[in-house]
Amino acid sequence: MSSTKRYWKDLGELHQDTEALKGREHEFPQEMAIDQVLGDQSFAGASTGRRDFLKFLGFSLGAATLAACETPVVKSIPYVNKPEDITPGVANWYASTFYDGQDFASVLVKTREGRPIHIKGNPRFGINRNPALDKGSINARINSSVLSLYDNERLKGFMMKSGEGMVSAPEGEVDEAVAKGLAAAAGAGKRIVVLTNTVISPSIKAAVAELKAKYATVEHVQYDAISYSGLTNANAKSFGARVMPSYDLTKADVIVSMDADFLSNWGSSTEHTWQYASRRNPDGSMNRHFQFESRMSLSGANADERTAIKPSELATAVISLHDQIAKRTGGAAVGGGSDMDEATKRAADALLGARGKSVVLCGSNDEGTQVLVNSINSMLGNYGSTIDLANHTFFKQGDDAAVAQLVKDMNAGSIGALLIAGVNPMYSLPNAEEFKAGLAKVALSVSFSAYADETASLCSYICPDNHYLESWNDFMPKVGEYALAQPAIRPLFKTRQWGESLLRWSGNDSTWHAYVKGTWQRELAARGGMSAAFEDTWNMAVHNGVYSAAATAAAAPAFSGDVNAAAATARKAAQAGEWEVVLYTTEAIGDGQHANNPWLQEMPDPVTKVTWDNYVCMSPADMLTILKSDDFRDLYIGEASPAKLVKVTVGGVELELPAVPSPGQKSGTLAIALGYGRGANGERVGRAACVTDHNGEWKPVGRNAYPLTAMNGGTMSYSAAASVAFTGATYPLAITQTHLTHMDRHSVVKETSVGVYKAGDKEAYNPSHLLAVHEDVNGDGAIDARDKKPVREFDLWEEHPVEGVGHRWGLSIDLNSCIGCGACVTACNSENNISVVGKDEVRRSREMHWLRVDRYFSSDTKWAEGRAEGRSKIELYRKMEVPSNSPSMVFMPVMCQHCNHAPCETVCPVAATTHSNEGLNQMTYNRCIGTRYCANNCPYKVRRFNWFNYTTEKFGEVNPAWDDLGRMVLNPDVTVRARGVIEKCSMCVQSIQAGKLEAKKAGRPVKDGDIETACSAACGTGAIVFGDLNDKTSKVRGLATSDRSYHMLEEIGVQPNVNYLVKVRNTEEEATA
Amino acid sequence: MSLAARISERFPGLLHASLAVLLVLSFSNAHAQGFDEALYTKGEKLFKGNCGACHKPDKNLTGPALAGSRARWEGQGDIYAWIKNSSAYLKTGNAYANKLFADWKGSVMTAQAVSDEEIDAILYYADNFPGPLQVKDDQTPPAPTPVQGTDAWPWLIVLGLLFLVVTISLSGVKRSLDSAVRDAEGRKPAQDRSILQHIGNWAWNNKIAASFIGLFFVVWLLLQGWNALWTIGIYGGDEVAQNYKPEQPILFNHTLHAGKVEAGNLAINCQYCHSSAEKSKHAGIPSTNICMNCHQAVGEGRTPEGTAEIAKIYRAVGWDPEKLAYTGEEEPIRWVKVHNLPDHAYFNHAQHVAVGKIECQECHGPIDEKMDVAEQWAPLTMGWCIDCHGQREVQMAGNGYYDETMARLHNNEIGHRELKSYLEDGKITVKELGGWECAKCHY
Repeated sequence: MSSTKRYWKDLGELHQDTEALKGREHEFPQEMAIDQVLGDQSFAGASTGRRDFLKFLGFSLGAATLAACETPVVKSIPYVNKPEDITPGVANWYASTFYDGQDFASVLVKTREGRPIHIKGNPRFGINRNPALDKGSINARINSSVLSLYDNERLKGFMMKSGEGMVSAPEGEVDEAVAKGLAAAAGAGKRIVVLTNTVISPSIKAAVAELKAKYATVEHVQYDAISYSGLTNANAKSFGARVMPSYDLTKADVIVSMDADFLSNWGSSTEHTWQYASRRNPDGSMNRHFQFESRMSLSGANADERTAIKPSELATAVISLHDQIAKRTGGAAVGGGSDMDEATKRAADALLGARGKSVVLCGSNDEGTQVLVNSINSMLGNYGSTIDLANHTFFKQGDDAAVAQLVKDMNAGSIGALLIAGVNPMYSLPNAEEFKAGLAKVALSVSFSAYADETASLCSYICPDNHYLESWNDFMPKVGEYALAQPAIRPLFKTRQWGESLLRWSGNDSTWHAYVKGTWQRELAARGGMSAAFEDTWNMAVHNGVYSAAATAAAAPAFSGDVNAAAATARKAAQAGEWEVVLYTTEAIGDGQHANNPWLQEMPDPVTKVTWDNYVCMSPADMLTILKSDDFRDLYIGEASPAKLVKVTVGGVELELPAVPSPGQKSGTLAIALGYGRGANGERVGRAACVTDHNGEWKPVGRNAYPLTAMNGGTMSYSAAASVAFTGATYPLAITQTHLTHMDRHSVVKETSVGVYKAGDKEAYNPSHLLAVHEDVNGDGAIDARDKKPVREFDLWEEHPVEGVGHRWGLSIDLNSCIGCGACVTACNSENNISVVGKDEVRRSREMHWLRVDRYFSSDTKWAEGRAEGRSKIELYRKMEVPSNSPSMVFMPVMCQHCNHAPCETVCPVAATTHSNEGLNQMTYNRCIGTRYCANNCPYKVRRFNWFNYTTEKFGEVNPAWDDLGRMVLNPDVTVRARGVIEKCSMCVQSIQAGKLEAKKAGRPVKDGDIETACSAACGTGAIVFGDLNDKTSKVRGLATSDRSYHMLEEIGVQPNVNYLVKVRNTEEEATA
Repeated sequence: MSLAARISERFPGLLHASLAVLLVLSFSNAHAQGFDEALYTKGEKLFKGNCGACHKPDKNLTGPALAGSRARWEGQGDIYAWIKNSSAYLKTGNAYANKLFADWKGSVMTAQAVSDEEIDAILYYADNFPGPLQVKDDQTPPAPTPVQGTDAWPWLIVLGLLFLVVTISLSGVKRSLDSAVRDAEGRKPAQDRSILQHIGNWAWNNKIAASFIGLFFVVWLLLQGWNALWTIGIYGGDEVAQNYKPEQPILFNHTLHAGKVEAGNLAINCQYCHSSAEKSKHAGIPSTNICMNCHQAVGEGRTPEGTAEIAKIYRAVGWDPEKLAYTGEEEPIRWVKVHNLPDHAYFNHAQHVAVGKIECQECHGPIDEKMDVAEQWAPLTMGWCIDCHGQREVQMAGNGYYDETMARLHNNEIGHRELKSYLEDGKITVKELGGWECAKCHY
């Protein structure tokens, strides 16, 4: 039986809200943008008379005509000495590494004429490489990082404090002053603290050691804005090693995640995503994923079984799981489990069925809870198999206690100098005011921040660090794994790598490049096992971006933690309340470092589909309670329906934010994203971190929720008891979920369970669409509704000669592997010069994304059950509309489907959109006159209209292509579209053409895998596969002809070249249905 | 363009004649006595064959200038032995030879298989350089004069205006004569009517003819205007006489460099300089270091103007022709782009040069025959592009990519049908494989 779940995109649709339903009839919710076009010019106050107007008209017509006659003189300036490996017009790719304390990935940087313009995962090397698919897994923050290189608000040189503000200062002067300050601090016996994020660079560590050799009082404190101290401390207690282990999810048959959003931001997520997805293929052995969490996270959305719990219940849930496993493995139970024994029992059963091939992950930052989780994994024998402590990572070394002590010491006056790199404590510490007071007492404070941000603007000096694309750097993500970052462009401004600054102040004149190389020479020689001379090894490492030494064998160390003590502290740490707040990080913004990146701000959140804001996620029922309403329409958020503003209070700290209903959220919980509200005191923290809001005020995007965090039991806590109240005010929210509905059809997403799938009957889970015809098809002698033919046999259009003729490009999208991360969306932005339009335009549903990731909630009520209970049809439908407490979710990337019988092509009056003989639906901007007929006729709503020239000053705050520096990120092979034309996914035709040309030049056929679209290259989980459908051996053809393959809205017969693969969930219940 | 050059263009004969006269004069002064032309010619031949790569008669290059070398060696040692095998001669410990070796930074001259007589001839040539043979140089074909459109329009307009003035004054004369006659005959003087009034009267009397003529003029004007609009911003092509030929910072002569040897040019392959034409979308303006591959040795043009232009390369690349060393002071050359496509059109040289095997001249015109300064020859309009795509046969032979294309067409029925329709005209054109599709050039 195919899944009979009913899908809805938003509550408005679910409850048949009139505005939502009215809205979906229109592709473009507003009739015309004329009011804005006129408002733009402020004609109202003009004093020009009619005659003057005519004179101007005549003059400008004449002037324009004359000007048009003159060909502009274009200068062309070649190199004086052309570097050997650069050919203008041909892209060079360099292997490098992205690391910002939060994410780590080996990447490839695409440069054109010396400018980095695109980033993708390294397909051949690195820990984030998916070896089965030869793809590097990355997330949206990583591929968007190329844009931050060209942020005009980056500091252009060294700065020093002068009075209240900062003024620019010559490098030499700053060096001299800092060296003097350090000497003074060391001379006075005061401590010199280097405060950084987690440093995994051997060279930085060596440079800090050199500084310590010169000034004996140097001390290194590591601080992670999103702390993992609980986990690392627990590992110290359990196994004597304060580290974050390596997890190998490819070996895990069962994954139980206790509030760890491991597919989004938790831990080494670029590894977890591909590892997880590699076990989601229903034809292989599928893993089974349990998720316990409060808010609907990306991991929860992908889980096979999800249980909503309050944050205060996490400890008891872990204890409950622990005891059930302890009882059955002969371990010691601690007692006092939760009342969710049913859910934990199912998880425990699954775990026990997969001993040594399972893993329990826990996102709590509480030490006790993590010790219990270690105990569970130890009892299950997961150490040495799915969890590797011998080859542990070097991520997340931050120590909350050390940071707290530092703030105390600063206030006590025992810190002589503070050097701050990679962290922003004034923004991310809950006790920022205390830090500020302490900083005032530190004689010398130096920031290496690239911006005069919250912390840097208070320091005595700023020595801005290079952007990572301008830098040499080295990393050791794991034991035996090394990575290199090489510069892809010379520094744009007078900045210096902060490691080199440390060297200068220690009296070492070496360049950072030479220093890194020297460190490697020492390090690799000490490690041994180099197969070639160092120079060759080094060159190879620069080329690959990675050097892997021989791995140590994984070991299963004995668990030596005290579970009873752990359970006691875990229980004590849990702060129960009527309302509980959960602080999390989003897929786009993370801990807030990249809040200045407009691509990320405009990327809709995978779950809530909100852009340009943070907000309070609440269960829809809870929202109705605090709004004192029983009408679900009050929850609708749209262009004309702003969100309701609520006030959240945690321990005396108040925060007013819009509330967003989030099905699946645990009742009684509030979820608020961290990382927003950068630059709240007017600091220039980057281009898009602050924008002009609906009141015309220049304000930070979102509000800072870090003040709601607090130290709890020695570690930072990201949940707390809270109170919430409706303020009565409203707030406009740019939310993309209601704009693009699907006409209530149910052939959009298909989902089934692994049992049904394995039974092998395609018609059961992926029935083909049949239409009734007026002829006796089944031969029963009567023409009736049973006479049906497959959709494919109906044609309004003449057949395109596609099969076997040349290429036919196609995409196959596996709903099973898609985890909804959105890396494809930002990759598409970068490759195709897609305009960022800003919150106000997104609110009017004018976002320009060529690729969106739709998400659908599902209801738990099923046809079969209802029928068995003897309900009437109406009753059944009504029941199906009621949201379950824990709806499952499906993500579906949607781009132009490149229909062979495209409805858009037939309605274009000027033939601006046409079909190619390679199966592409082509959009010709210079021919488009902007009637928008095509967009109205597109059943997939993928065509976007340029309402404005987004490269003008009006969009300068958000659109990177506005200024000369920002324009450097544009892909020179793709036209920047002007006002008044439609645009849409071209299936990266520029890459197709380039790939074909390479093949032609080499005189060989195009090989499968030669050409990748930006989205397929960015998809580390392999959900998006691109290829030639006419190539019988291609992967995409295999997928397109497989049993799971279907076309979206197949019944309308437009014959897309994009196909989807039915989602198969590893659940038991439906298997029997 | 300098005045001299302009004059020389207009009156090439004059320049040649005057040059010849000057040279003959100088020859008769300088070489009046005892010039051995046979020896000089022999020496020149030998010099060009054996020495020219590293030496110049009158200037230092990789090695010293040869003129006066015999005098310099006078009493210092054996110049013959030195020339024949310099390494061996150095070992004899000759002080002057070792000084020379040190002065020239230890560059070793390879041993030369020449006889003493031949050395005499070479040195004679060097000492007497440039010799009388400049006259002969002048006989090599002059740099081709640029194609000038037969621009007769201004003259026609001037003639027309003159004709008009004459007509008007004649009619004035006629009128005054007429009135004088009337006066003499005692008749009433005729109404003094202007030509316009005449025309007006005529038109009033012949309304139908006048309206036809009027209509004709209006339509003609509109058509002219319409056609003129189509040519805005378009250069080159058969229809438009004036090609886009901007003044360049360096008067680089394409014909001289790329033209045929028979015509006295250098016949350098286009892709020697425009090397990325077969690799990239851009043919590429060569970087200055490419110029220096040859011009490090070739510091002089065929004319003093040419030498001045070469000096500009040296300035750009930071080359000191006296010291024969790079100064490190670089100044990129700001060329003016000649072929400008609109931003929304994608063009790739590699596709056309490497895959389509199209000669440069097919789009860029006779650049090697008559373009001293690069100019836009083809109109570069979309119509011009697709005309070619509609006719041009795809170069399939020997290309595995197209073998696969053909194999697929042969594989099924739709393919067969398509292939048959392709081959109706006996060839597979670019258009038939999708060369007229929008997204081949617009994305």
